[in-house]
Amino acid sequence: MKIKLKYIITTVAFIGIALLILLAKSISNSDVISSDSFRILLGLNIFFICSLIILIAVQIFRLLQSVKKEITGSRLTLRLVLSFALMGIIPVLIIYLVSVNFLTKSIESWFDVKVESALEGGLTLGQKTIDILMSDIELKGKSIAYSIGNAEKEDRNNILTDLRAKFGIQDAVIFDQDSKIIELSSKKNNLIPSIPDASDLERGGEGFFGRIEEITGEDIYLKAFIPISSKNLMGEKLILQLSQPIPPSIANLALSVESVYDEYQQLTYSRNSLKIIYILTLTLVLLLALLSSVAASFVISRKFSSPLAMLADATRQISKGNYKKIISEQGKDEIGVLISSFNSMTSQLEEATKNSEKDRERLEIARTFLETILAHLTTGVIVIDDKKIIRLNNVSASKMLQNKEKKMNDIKIEKIIKNNSLFKPLYEFVETYIDDNKKNKKEISKEFRLKKEEKERTIMLQITPLRDKKNTQYVLVFDDISEVTQAQRQSAWGEIARRLAHEIKNPLTPIQLSAERIQHKFSDKLSKEDSIILERSTSVIVNQVNALKLMVNEFAEYARPPKIQKDIIRIDNLVDEVVDLYEIDKIIKIKKDKNIPIIYADQNKLRQVIINLIENSKDALEEIKNPIIKIFIRKKIGEVELIIEDNGIGIPDEIIERIFEPYVTSKKAGTGLGLAIVHKIIEEHEGKIKIERINTSGTRVIIKFKSGKK
Amino acid sequence: MRYFKKISIIIIIVIGLLLIVDRLPSIEENEILIKDVVIKNSEGLNKINFNQEMKFDPIVMKAINKGIPLVFKVTLRVVEVGDIWPTKTLSKKVGHYQIEYKSLRKVYKIRDINGNSYEYKYIDEAVQKILKVENFEFTFINDYKNYELWLNVALDRKKLPKPLQVNYFDTTWYMISNKSIHKL
Repeated sequence: MKIKLKYIITTVAFIGIALLILLAKSISNSDVISSDSFRILLGLNIFFICSLIILIAVQIFRLLQSVKKEITGSRLTLRLVLSFALMGIIPVLIIYLVSVNFLTKSIESWFDVKVESALEGGLTLGQKTIDILMSDIELKGKSIAYSIGNAEKEDRNNILTDLRAKFGIQDAVIFDQDSKIIELSSKKNNLIPSIPDASDLERGGEGFFGRIEEITGEDIYLKAFIPISSKNLMGEKLILQLSQPIPPSIANLALSVESVYDEYQQLTYSRNSLKIIYILTLTLVLLLALLSSVAASFVISRKFSSPLAMLADATRQISKGNYKKIISEQGKDEIGVLISSFNSMTSQLEEATKNSEKDRERLEIARTFLETILAHLTTGVIVIDDKKIIRLNNVSASKMLQNKEKKMNDIKIEKIIKNNSLFKPLYEFVETYIDDNKKNKKEISKEFRLKKEEKERTIMLQITPLRDKKNTQYVLVFDDISEVTQAQRQSAWGEIARRLAHEIKNPLTPIQLSAERIQHKFSDKLSKEDSIILERSTSVIVNQVNALKLMVNEFAEYARPPKIQKDIIRIDNLVDEVVDLYEIDKIIKIKKDKNIPIIYADQNKLRQVIINLIENSKDALEEIKNPIIKIFIRKKIGEVELIIEDNGIGIPDEIIERIFEPYVTSKKAGTGLGLAIVHKIIEEHEGKIKIERINTSGTRVIIKFKSGKK
Repeated sequence: MRYFKKISIIIIIVIGLLLIVDRLPSIEENEILIKDVVIKNSEGLNKINFNQEMKFDPIVMKAINKGIPLVFKVTLRVVEVGDIWPTKTLSKKVGHYQIEYKSLRKVYKIRDINGNSYEYKYIDEAVQKILKVENFEFTFINDYKNYELWLNVALDRKKLPKPLQVNYFDTTWYMISNKSIHKL
């Protein structure tokens, strides 16, 4: 269980105050607390102060650790602790020094020389008074002793009584040397005399001996012992004892002076101890006050710094995006108002952030949407600024500009295009457009035919300026329309072919029939030579008409409207069937994967494709020593691949790009429509066809069909 | 080294505490030596006589002359020495004797352990008188078991003026005897 520091310090402070009160009590003259208790209290106080020191040391250590670990609020707490501690220490130290000085001087001032002299004078006066009284009683005693010594034995008592009364002595007793009472006279009738010490009598026997006796602390008696000597005593040794009280007024005063003198002497003697004890107590009070103030400074500092630390922590949390951090209210003072404002600000910030987040999400969705569209666009899109630096581009743009990196941001468009001279005209056009200082430039588009190493591409470029307050950016949209133009050409060719076929085919049969009829009718009627010429001429006509018919039929095939009858077929079986027709040649090798999937296609059209391609290969192999045609049928994911390759003379580079266009052929006798028809059939089957040169020699045609029923 | 740096404050505090604690028992005591102990038993009454040796510091002498009374406390215990528990107090008797200077009459007044008063003009005579303790009576029935008499003499600090009592650091006033043990 973790006990809060403030409770510990409060408890410790109360204990300390209680101990100090007890200690202060113990050094006063009160008997409530004994010196043994003082010893215990002193020990307890020292122990308590040491505990407080340890407590503070631990707190300082923890605080320094916190500062080292850069815990929020620890530096402020340290600063506050130092400030509060100094605020406590400086005045307390001043008070302490002044108090010690004041105390020392005060104690010294108690012991004034004049007071001491006066007391000594008073005591001496008392002593002198007693001495005078003693001298008086000595004289009287000697007089009585002389009279008794010269008196008869039977007169002693009368003389003693008379003289005692005459001299005003209270008691007079005559002892012999064995302490036996010989005569007795007293002012009080009922006197029972006390027997003096043998030593007193012995000393009295040798001469006058006086003694002062204090009885019950109030009465002082003078006792005088005087020897009685006379010839009449006949060797008898008598001692006269006189007892005379000092008058009460004098005795009381003398005793009072003695008492005060003794107390003063004791006090004088113990003043150093007194100083030590007071200074010690004062030091303990100082230490307790100092340590308490330092300990309290921890509590107060934490109280002050805690809300600020919470604020700092909350600020940090907010900076991390945690707007749920609400600080508990801390009263109605300035800090409370600050916290309240902070909480309010946090709520508003959270609301604003939520809205901003929503906006950002919407923006992100829009951006993603745009990016997705751009990414999936086959059209290349590039946004450049007026310094021709690319700010945005899509993947198609990179591909079309043949750039390795998909992203071309912050790169000058010049750099991209410089790598590929194919696009030089394109760049020049863009540069001219951007560098043109015309205001309100309009959208512009242009078609470019770019040719490099016999490769021709048709690019359509559109430039749209985007203006904002500061800058103008340009959106370059370019599209590779090579295939479109090719398709358009093919379509145009198809149309021409269809019309030509129609227009040419009609008169061919009458021409052929007319030629045959002319030969038939006039061959017998002409001379042999003429007949030969006629036959040759009509044969030429018929042959050429047949050739024209063939050409027109091929045209018709090329130009026919797409009409295919798809069905489920197995391409491997179809290939086998076609290859069987060329069994005699033994130059065709088939290699096929197992379990070739079915395709959905027009069997007759595909047969025509395969025959066409094999015929092309055969034509290419005419002058080749080891001719070979390889057919591969491969199973691919979702596709069936048909490859027909030969080691023939191959297709020249200059026509390979346009090989599927009509009338593009490398053969001397070809119409140039075979591959165009193949291409058309494959396109009608939504397949793909590609033709390529094999490195050494030969041609490879790759056809891909979608596998499955549809 | 770094660890020591960290705990340096604690080390300083502990050393400080040790110094304070060390200071407390280091207070020297002026020992009173008990000797010539004679225990007499006459007519069922036990009496003890003993002499003492104690060094009266000039400060103590001065204190006496300043009128500070010195009261000595004599504690006498009859204990039974057991096997399991070492001691069992059978009886205890406490007596006091004192010396005091009477400034008015310039005499040193002695009150012995039995309450008798004596006055001496000179301090040496008075001191000689208080060093002898005679006829201090105590009750004890000797049935010849394993009994011991434990005797202690000490200056009674409670009778000193308050400042001297509480001045714990002034060692002059710690006059105490060793425990004098005698077989009964």
